[in-house]
Amino acid sequence: MDTAFWIISAVTVIGAVLAMTLRNLVHCVLALVLFFFGIAAHYFLLHADFLGAVQILLYVGAVAVLILFAIMLTRHVTGTEGQREVLGGKWWAGMGTAVIIAGLLWAVIRRDQLAALLPTGAAKTSVAEIGQVLVTRWVVPFEAMGVLLTAALIGAVVIALEEFIRRR
Amino acid sequence: MNVPLSYYLMLSAFLFAIGLCGALSRKNAILVLMGIEIMFNAGILNLVAFWRYKLFATPSAQLFAIFAIAIAAAESAIGLALVIAIYRQYKSVDVDEITSLKG
Repeated sequence: MDTAFWIISAVTVIGAVLAMTLRNLVHCVLALVLFFFGIAAHYFLLHADFLGAVQILLYVGAVAVLILFAIMLTRHVTGTEGQREVLGGKWWAGMGTAVIIAGLLWAVIRRDQLAALLPTGAAKTSVAEIGQVLVTRWVVPFEAMGVLLTAALIGAVVIALEEFIRRR
Repeated sequence: MNVPLSYYLMLSAFLFAIGLCGALSRKNAILVLMGIEIMFNAGILNLVAFWRYKLFATPSAQLFAIFAIAIAAAESAIGLALVIAIYRQYKSVDVDEITSLKG
């Protein structure tokens, strides 16, 4: 289990680093898919099998394809940036912020006292139990989520088709 | 369960920093959104690790992660629609060139 954690973590981190550093946008999305698969494998390792399935269906299946479509619609399919600069104007400020935040989080986590307070053993939740609480205790947030997703769907179409609608 | 909880927290913090670094320093707006997705996933991994290590050992803990994933999906759909709208307006997705709101 220990080895699995390290292997999956390495794959996940490599995927994330490549997704943020490669020049070709399509390659970036492929690396992002690797990262999503790594996260899904982490969920399976943590026995959250439903979340792992959701991760693969939703992120690998939907979000990655959505990003690919956005690249196709904005970059003339190939997605290469060629010899152009890939970093923005104040990139050093962004990287500095990321390094400082990573350092702060590391310092906090390294000296945390949480592990001593946790009960021993591991939690287990079956998919049936998740479904049970979803339609009993959390039914109102569940319905609100449906409204939110519908609003997001309509909003995305309206924003993306703005010019088309105006022309009619 | 041999791995302590803090390993997951450190992995998650590291992934968050990678995503933040990409989102703040890359030029292309689509890559900025990809960085935000990485940060989202790092945060949700935290929630799942907390559930597994019994900080909140109820089914509701996983539901929190599911709701976070649903909101992230809505966010990415809207964000990419905005990128397409911006591309139509400026013929570019370079975040340095989109400066209408700059003071």
